Amino acid sequence: MIWGAIVGGFVGTLVLTTVLRAASEFGWTRMDIPFLIGTAITADRVRAKAVGYALHFVFGLLFALVYYTIFAVLDESGVLLGALFGLVHALFASTALVNVLLPVVHPRMGTGFDAAGSAPLLEPPGFLLLNYGRQTPLATVIAHIFYGAIVGGFVAWAG
Amino acid sequence: MSWLRRRKFQRAGATHVRLQSVIEPTRTDGYAAIRDYAAIGDGRTVALVARDGSIDWLCLPDLDSASVFGALLDADHGGRFALAPEVPHEASRRYLPGTNVLETTFTTAAGAVRVTDAMTLPASGFAPYRELVRRVEGVAGCVPLAWQVEPRLQYGSSPARVSSRGGVATVADGRDALAVFSWDAGEATVSDGSVGARFEASEGTVGHLVVSAAHQEPLVYPNRAEVEARLHATAATWRDWSTGREYDGPWRDAVLRSALVLKLLVFAPSGAIAAAPTTSLPEQIGGERNWDYRYSWPRDAAFTLRALLSLGCSSEAHAFFAWLLHASQLTHPKVQVLYRLNGRPEATERSLALAGYRGSRPVRVGNGAAGQTQLDVYGEVLDAAAEFARFAGTLDRDHAKRLAGIADFVCEIWRERDAGIWETRSEPTHFTQSKMMCFVALDRACALAGQGLLRGDVDRWSRERERIREFVETRCYAEHKRSYTRSADDDALDAALLLGVIARYDDPNSPRLRDTVDAVRRELGRGPLLRRYLDDDGLAGEDGAFVACSFWLVEAYARQGRLDEAAELMDELVALANDVGLYAEEIDAKTSDFLGNFPQGLSHLALINAAGAIAEARR
Repeated sequence: MIWGAIVGGFVGTLVLTTVLRAASEFGWTRMDIPFLIGTAITADRVRAKAVGYALHFVFGLLFALVYYTIFAVLDESGVLLGALFGLVHALFASTALVNVLLPVVHPRMGTGFDAAGSAPLLEPPGFLLLNYGRQTPLATVIAHIFYGAIVGGFVAWAG
Repeated sequence: MSWLRRRKFQRAGATHVRLQSVIEPTRTDGYAAIRDYAAIGDGRTVALVARDGSIDWLCLPDLDSASVFGALLDADHGGRFALAPEVPHEASRRYLPGTNVLETTFTTAAGAVRVTDAMTLPASGFAPYRELVRRVEGVAGCVPLAWQVEPRLQYGSSPARVSSRGGVATVADGRDALAVFSWDAGEATVSDGSVGARFEASEGTVGHLVVSAAHQEPLVYPNRAEVEARLHATAATWRDWSTGREYDGPWRDAVLRSALVLKLLVFAPSGAIAAAPTTSLPEQIGGERNWDYRYSWPRDAAFTLRALLSLGCSSEAHAFFAWLLHASQLTHPKVQVLYRLNGRPEATERSLALAGYRGSRPVRVGNGAAGQTQLDVYGEVLDAAAEFARFAGTLDRDHAKRLAGIADFVCEIWRERDAGIWETRSEPTHFTQSKMMCFVALDRACALAGQGLLRGDVDRWSRERERIREFVETRCYAEHKRSYTRSADDDALDAALLLGVIARYDDPNSPRLRDTVDAVRRELGRGPLLRRYLDDDGLAGEDGAFVACSFWLVEAYARQGRLDEAAELMDELVALANDVGLYAEEIDAKTSDFLGNFPQGLSHLALINAAGAIAEARR
């Protein structure tokens, strides 16, 4: 069953990344998760993207294991329940995780406490990540619902 | 009004005496003269800075993207980044030596201030996706200044407005966003459509204004110390690049400036070279001859490679040749007239709802010429291949196969009528220069085959080459004019015939080519300049004199050994550049006003090759 979560986490992250990248290409959002994660590690743009993609997949697997734990506690899993987890995950990400927590730990992202002259800063995402485009919340929710549904589906299938 | 003036600046007890070209900036109906612009860029995009300090053209993130500052094409609604003294002033400009970093000095009765403009190059550290930096330094006295950024995304069609987001003036629309930062440049005020401030620059003070742009990613908020460091690093990078240029012949300053312009037009992500960074600057004020030149023309390939290789730009030459064959792979064996900078063939033409430079409409984006048949392209591509093979000593096997396919294709299509090098929109015809270049295509294919670099039906190439020669010699030469003619069975002339000399259609000193050069100057010459042709071309109005043609005449003279004539004309043409050494596509022979897109790569390519030809002939 845990292998279902790992495989689901990998495939789900793949799909989530693809959906967000497509949304970016369509002009719905400027959010770039690998870029956001990678620039926390390095200021080199190319390296940041590479590191960011790798870490994004690691985080995708870790979140899948969290989903797996909750599925185990509930003793229930599936596509619909996974999709519901994905929705909650997206709301958490856009209101707290990326909006509040990431700027606090990200060395190059601006917060309300920074002055622009102190260090190179990344534009903060704002509530519901709206600073990165008006359609960003929608794209984020859709991408995470796909992610959750895939993880839930794989866990149930392996299960 | 322009004049030379000896000006003294008292500074810290020292007296600096400088000879400067000082000009009071002026505008007509809100538009600066094309001659009054200078270009800055970063190998991805280019901004045009007017003499009065206004940045009136900038497309983001790339040179062929939509404009953010487009006042060049619509003074009221296009958007700009204005920065100038608030009191009467004069302006003098220069590029920092060996760079594409512009320095404008505004002199007022109260003092002087120096503005340094650059698109910074990516350096180590965390830089914005694109960054425009304006450094304002008080030189003498105390000068009151004002700046205002009016971004208008998507050629002014986006409803996005400037807002203050966490104290940062920001405008965003879909994939693109832009933020404005200022340090020691006044208290910025954000209004609905702009952000700006007033401030005073005293001797010794330094202020910074920065536009940070993002595309499909969050905005990067720059740090002032790093902005300053990037500005210096940018100038140093340009200087290093200039130092590596190998040209030591005559008119070195003009050649080096032209090389720097070409480098601005090289789209670094692909290696393509844009014809110009602008669209729809008119060939006739108020007219319809307004085209989008933010594409790469394979037709310019041979000129480009020759210029790049003569300057020691081998990496740029490699990149361009690889791009050329990669882009044309999509349409093989046909070579399209132009391609996008990313190599894609689409160039659908449409009009924008902009007022146009001094009312010159339509303002076009895209270029309908992409769908035309222009037979001369094949000669340029194979001539470029021969040039590249001479430099590299070899040709990639895959490239060689494709070039052989192009030669076969020329054998099939050279009898067709085409739109010619000038992309006329009248009925296709048998243009002489097109036929000459088809001859050149097969001639170079045969030569490359002779060197063992190309495999194919050489007998067929040779046979068709001689048939083309026969066509040109029997139908494209007018005995009574003692000149080749613009097209078959015609008696009009065309400056493109000079390319017969340059591309070695025949011995440059053959009687017919020698007479043609004289006839072209006689009929199409306007002082040191040349008109392209006098015929109807299917468009209303009349264009100016084409700068590249005038330099082609210099090169033709040089290749015919007429060095005194070449040098004299070269001197006159070099003097026609604007104050920072740039050329547009055309010059009005009566007023010396610049016309057409600016700065024009072909004009600068032709200058480099003309100077190189004279230097070579003198050796």
